[in-house]
Amino acid sequence: MNLETLMFYLLSALTVFAALRVITSRNPVHAALFLVLAFFSTAGIWMLLEAEFLALTLVLVYVGAVMVLFLFVVMMLDINLERLRVGFWKWFPFAAILAVVLLVEMVMVLGSSSTAGTNVNVAKHAADYSNTKELGRLIYTEYIYAFELAAVLLLVAIIAAIALTLRQRSGTKHQVQGDQIQVRSKDRVRIVSMPSVARPDTRK
Amino acid sequence: MEAQVLHFFQWFWDLFGLWNVVWSFVEPVWPLIWNLMKIVAIVAPLMIGVAYLTYAERKILAYMQVRVGPNRVGYYGLLQPIADGIKLLFKELIVPIRSNKLLFAFAPVMVLAPALAAWAVVPFADGMVLANINAGLLFILAMTSIGVYGVIIAGWSSNSKYAFLGAMRSAAQMVSYELPMGFALVCVLLAAQSMNLTDIVMGQQSNAGMLGWYFVPLFPMFIVYLISGVAETNRAPFDMAEGESEIVAGFHVEYSGMGFALFFLGEYANMILIAGLTSLFFLGGWLNPFHGWMLVGALTEWVPGIVWLLGKMFFVLFLFLWFRATFPRYRYDQLMRLGWKVLIPLTLVWVVVVAAWMQTPYWLWTPASVQG
Amino acid sequence: MLENYFPVLLFIIVGLAIGVIPLLLGWILAPNRPDDAKLSPYECGFEAFEDARMKFDVRYYLVAILFILFDLEIAFLFPWAIVLQEIGMFGFVSMMVFLSILVVGFIYEWKKGALEWE
Repeated sequence: MNLETLMFYLLSALTVFAALRVITSRNPVHAALFLVLAFFSTAGIWMLLEAEFLALTLVLVYVGAVMVLFLFVVMMLDINLERLRVGFWKWFPFAAILAVVLLVEMVMVLGSSSTAGTNVNVAKHAADYSNTKELGRLIYTEYIYAFELAAVLLLVAIIAAIALTLRQRSGTKHQVQGDQIQVRSKDRVRIVSMPSVARPDTRK
Repeated sequence: MEAQVLHFFQWFWDLFGLWNVVWSFVEPVWPLIWNLMKIVAIVAPLMIGVAYLTYAERKILAYMQVRVGPNRVGYYGLLQPIADGIKLLFKELIVPIRSNKLLFAFAPVMVLAPALAAWAVVPFADGMVLANINAGLLFILAMTSIGVYGVIIAGWSSNSKYAFLGAMRSAAQMVSYELPMGFALVCVLLAAQSMNLTDIVMGQQSNAGMLGWYFVPLFPMFIVYLISGVAETNRAPFDMAEGESEIVAGFHVEYSGMGFALFFLGEYANMILIAGLTSLFFLGGWLNPFHGWMLVGALTEWVPGIVWLLGKMFFVLFLFLWFRATFPRYRYDQLMRLGWKVLIPLTLVWVVVVAAWMQTPYWLWTPASVQG
Repeated sequence: MLENYFPVLLFIIVGLAIGVIPLLLGWILAPNRPDDAKLSPYECGFEAFEDARMKFDVRYYLVAILFILFDLEIAFLFPWAIVLQEIGMFGFVSMMVFLSILVVGFIYEWKKGALEWE
């Protein structure tokens, strides 16, 4: 067994363990952190497949961004675990059926003739091969349609995020920099000219 | 290099006549040992650098404020960082009640480890790099984006309001400033046409000396990167996370002893990393600033590259300390405004400017490797 | 290509070790004399009240969501940036279309006041 195979089994075991803990942890924050671990080890597996760009982007986007949001949400919302558990058994048969369907699908995909026995060795690349450049050559030319669609998708996501979470609170104070800069002294200070009057003599 | 080290070991063990025995054990794991030796050669100076950066900070701040600074331990206080380290080692580790013990202990590690791991791909001279990977820059971004976990976990697991507030503030700040940083780096990639850090530096080599460096065409991005770097590391004037006067040191308020020391190490290791990256991306890394400049260029050609690199890093680090001594702390809304409303639009515009500029014949920074 | 990543893996492990070892050392060497007052979370001198894990302003979520979206945009920009000279004008225009669609989103965000903090 070479180092690569060893790493694969280590990372896979770690992924499976982390994924199991995601659904069995009682504390939602722990579950989210285990999900981070699962992403991390999956990135490692992708790296073993020499998908350099994807592996690092998985860490950058999912670990570095998506999971930060997850953590924000589970840490700052009061999640009542007792309330979440209500109705667990009522919905259990439905969930079980879904799980079985998924399992059957996976077995069919993995066992189908198109993928069966394709224990292909991933093409080994020379040390100076750049996976990212290959992707770049394709995404922006050949797959331009899908690429622009991704932009539209992101636009929809931006608008949806704002529509869902933005609440204008009343009674808050803004700083309006433009106004601050344009303030002139005559707007703020009124200089009153008063005639000087001799002080009445109070010593008497 | 490797052959010389091996040769030395052979000579050493031959003194006892044991070379053959030792080598038979060592040979299968030699790549591991060799890599570990290289890692130690990077990490040990880095740790010393971190220790003396804290000293430099105190000393420089002191002089800027007309004080003397640490001067009791050793000459000019030179042993102060070591004394501090030993003191912290013998301080009690306090774990607050109702905190999540394991996460509480793990959080400082999460800050320090990525700050160190990013150094794996940093080149110190042409060919002097531990892991010469093609996606080097992406790896560094991935590593720095993990640093935010240490902060969030620390704040949450402490079960203290101040820690939690500080953590949320600094997490939002760190993610906000990662964006301008990323966009600024896109400009560097445009110029270098590669994500390999060695290629990025070599792309800045020309006969124009420092005029060939990327801070010339990407000057606004250089400034943006520097500002985001300060904000990323939660340094003054963006140290809202600490804000001693309002939330008493923020996310690490509950940490003591070694836990606290690790956060400190992580922060300063990150500073050195940002300084190193700024030098590599914008200031020509190990390149001679006067290369090709007639007499000055010829006279400075003997200086080894690593000296230039360290000099540039010192310059950037000095800027960090200078900022701290000079600028008052930003307010949180001002900080978010700067990040989202000034830096991000600016970087977006500059990405377009650089890309358009590259479509014209007036772009003078095309790396030699792409020209052919 | 993978052989390049072996030192990286090693470095990550060493980085973790450098974090863990001082903690263990501190744990072994430092005194441990806990008492109630020392272990209670810090709160300006008086007894802590309420749970520390409070609800937060929804703006923090908005920042996090917008961060994800822009981070994705950066992920799209990276491969483009390093091959721009190869894909030339066509690649340039396709990215400009992409960016202009997203700039619409950014302007919307700005006008809606999603970037305001008070």
